[in-house]
Amino acid sequence: MAAEGHRGEGGELTARPGADETGTRPPGGGGTAGGVGAPFARLVGVSKSFGSTRALSDVDVTFARGRVHAIAGENGAGKSTLIKILMGVLQPDHGRIEVDGSPTAIASPAAARALGFAAVFQEPLVYPHLGVLENIFVAGPERSRLGDLDRPAMRRRAAALFEQLEVDTALLDRRMGELRLGHQQLVLIAKALIEDAKLIIFDEPTSILSGAETAQLFRVIQRLRSGGSAIVYISHRFEELEAIADSVTVLTDGRVAGAFEARPFDLDAIVRLMSGRETRGYGAAPAAHRAGTTGPPLLEVEGFTLRPYFEDVSWRVSRGEVLCFYGQVGAGRTEMAKALFGDLRPTAGTVRMEGKPLAARSPRQAIRAGVGYLPEDRKAEGIFATQAISENIVATVLGRIVARLARYVRRSEVRNLTDSQREALQIKMAGPSAPISSLSGGGQQKVILGRWMVERLKLLVLDEPTRGIDVMTKAQFHEIIRQLAEEGLAVVVISSDLPEVFEVADRILVMRRGRIVAEFANDGTAPPEEVLRQAVALDQADAGARGASANGNGTIVDVGGVSVLVPSGDPEEKEVTGQ
Amino acid sequence: MTDIGIALPKGVSPDSSPASSRVRHMLGRIEYEGYLAGVIVVMAIVLTFTVGSAFWGSTNLSGLLLDVAIDTVPAIGMTLVIVTGGIDVSIGSLVGVVAVVIGLSFEAHLPFVLVLLIGIVVGIGGGLVNGAIVAWGRVPPIIVTLGTLSVFEAITYQLLGGVWISTIPAELTQIVVLDRLGPVPYSFIVAVALVAVFSYIMARRPIGLKIYATGDNPEAARTAGLPIRRIQLFVYALLGGLTAIAALMTVGQSPLVMPTTGQDFELTVIAAAVVGGTNILGGEGKVIGGLLGALLVEMVEDAAILYHVNSFYQQIVLGAMIVAGVAIGVARRRARLGAKAER
Repeated sequence: MAAEGHRGEGGELTARPGADETGTRPPGGGGTAGGVGAPFARLVGVSKSFGSTRALSDVDVTFARGRVHAIAGENGAGKSTLIKILMGVLQPDHGRIEVDGSPTAIASPAAARALGFAAVFQEPLVYPHLGVLENIFVAGPERSRLGDLDRPAMRRRAAALFEQLEVDTALLDRRMGELRLGHQQLVLIAKALIEDAKLIIFDEPTSILSGAETAQLFRVIQRLRSGGSAIVYISHRFEELEAIADSVTVLTDGRVAGAFEARPFDLDAIVRLMSGRETRGYGAAPAAHRAGTTGPPLLEVEGFTLRPYFEDVSWRVSRGEVLCFYGQVGAGRTEMAKALFGDLRPTAGTVRMEGKPLAARSPRQAIRAGVGYLPEDRKAEGIFATQAISENIVATVLGRIVARLARYVRRSEVRNLTDSQREALQIKMAGPSAPISSLSGGGQQKVILGRWMVERLKLLVLDEPTRGIDVMTKAQFHEIIRQLAEEGLAVVVISSDLPEVFEVADRILVMRRGRIVAEFANDGTAPPEEVLRQAVALDQADAGARGASANGNGTIVDVGGVSVLVPSGDPEEKEVTGQ
Repeated sequence: MTDIGIALPKGVSPDSSPASSRVRHMLGRIEYEGYLAGVIVVMAIVLTFTVGSAFWGSTNLSGLLLDVAIDTVPAIGMTLVIVTGGIDVSIGSLVGVVAVVIGLSFEAHLPFVLVLLIGIVVGIGGGLVNGAIVAWGRVPPIIVTLGTLSVFEAITYQLLGGVWISTIPAELTQIVVLDRLGPVPYSFIVAVALVAVFSYIMARRPIGLKIYATGDNPEAARTAGLPIRRIQLFVYALLGGLTAIAALMTVGQSPLVMPTTGQDFELTVIAAAVVGGTNILGGEGKVIGGLLGALLVEMVEDAAILYHVNSFYQQIVLGAMIVAGVAIGVARRRARLGAKAER
């Protein structure tokens, strides 16, 4: 029976080229059939519909060797459909895909892989309990003469590649799940190269990365490009297009709205095309807001601590105020918000709401006290994915809308609340009973915001409210946030998006390594670069630590399942990961 | 002023207390099989000092090792099935079907070796049915195998027609029970050999890596183009075949086929796998764990008999061991992945 299984594998493995090499090839060196700039893959007139929705219509786009081709577009513009078609997950209804000039059907993910297509998703798709080495080689392992897994050979190839990608080879001995997301992405890139990928798709890779990790990723992408790989780069972030892209294709409502072949890119034009209508200019000077607080504080936080996430954090917020927490990913902001919301238990510190102690031991208690929290991870912690839009909106207020004696949920109330939020938040939906999964990411986020707006809250914490959301919806969110504050709510916004912080904040607190390191009033006097500098000082130390590790002066150790880089010079300086 | 940081009940951050963190860390680091072997040794020592002669007596010892062999052989397959993220609760009634079929074949005076082959083919067939429905029907494995459990049981009753089969040739009992190396029955040696073969396959062959990958992250495995359905079909068919071997051993052990033959056997085998460290969430588990788990489960049962404990309590202990095994598996996963698994 075992032998049967092996035979099944054999066919695939022998089809894979370069199985005997030991990693001496340069990254992306697979693209030898054509020179830099030569077209590698082309989509010609590709269309795809889901029911009555046209996800892609008549899309033409060419990906060339040695070029970084960016795809920009609103949520729901068809970017994910495009990736899925390239990766063989979906089949186009019309049109064709050409690879090296000849029409090619990509019938399955395995076929895409055989063509040399690879994708690195925002949330890395990994095997958390397998080793890093096993993750890299699972689909095409090195084999000894007897057909056994040849781990030493795999290790040699992977190590050579890791060194070229400037990734610590010590990671090879870890389990994948222990690595932080940035490292997981780098492992997946190494995997793509081992599998001889010629076209690598990056789907919003930086939204979960810190500044240093982003810089490292960009260096890797540059190397891949000079190695001759065709890169497809999907991002919402305009500054990244400037930094990395050779050309930009704008998708709007499933159509190619425009293509930009050379830098510098006209960002205003791209935004205009993305939105499909005229919008305000990107990167306009931050609007000046009221300076400082007015009135007595609604919430006072003193000495809040939960190591290793945050330590001795003290702040206050008033009614009618928008307080922004700016910082890099992993600065401890999310954990602090969760502790406030009763989802994590802090080890020290006090919280007072309107002068009275507030110690929420569960989200339920926090909500009762008038605190709402819009989570960072919408899919895992925000939506009830299989439920209708209306059910998602009324989820937390069910107790308020039941009939007095019979205790059934009054449909009319559900309807009213849904309609009011639909209008207030301009949620585009087929109907209140449509599943929330039918909405785009931005639409889903609006629904969750709507859920909190039907609550009678005093304080609303929004954790990265516009991450992965298109430009237009983002602007709407900013307006809504300002409006909520004007109506007397205290709003705390956690954001890693500097323009957003300047857009909505009255006051800005910068967190770094679990501590508040700076405070700014957003009255036009705070220079953005200073705010940024305060937040990324970590990254300078981080870079130093990484250098120390490379020189053998530091070690990555495992503390309670959390990987920590300890440079030998300063054992107290820990880079906390695992987030 | 309210002190927010007093009690630390379950569900809080793993790093909030250094002591609990250290314990969890150790749980995550030390090889689980090492602990298990330790527990088995301690139990053997305790049994030696309390009921020594009864435990080490060759009748008790060979009986125990035969029981272990009967559990271990299908536990290998069960481990692989659970590693892929599945479960099979039908194997007890599959033992019944195989037992009846070989019983009827013996009654029909078919050649001895042919009967054994028929039994194994029937077992693989049952496993293929389970695997095919899981892989292509996209029905959750627990439901599929609950369904086939009932179907297999009905087939057994129908074939048996209310009569017991007792015409089992002594040859079978001879090779299953009586042929021994010292006190060690050949059956046990066969089980150990199978454990060795499948340990090697899981650790060193590409198919092993793919089985782990399938259970660890099915979505990643699918997008990586791994043949998930063939892998599922393979592990359930393998379990079916190994279950048939266990059925042959069972019939050899007690040469009588009854409607209740094989009943509740799946519980023991699942217990062996999860006590052996196979994570019910998929992606983790070792074949050797199935052997150690079977040893522990059967030693506990043996001890209960030697201490004259009511069989009622044996069932309770077995159930408790399954729950504890699963709980430890989940706790280890948390310990290893730290805060991430917590959220």
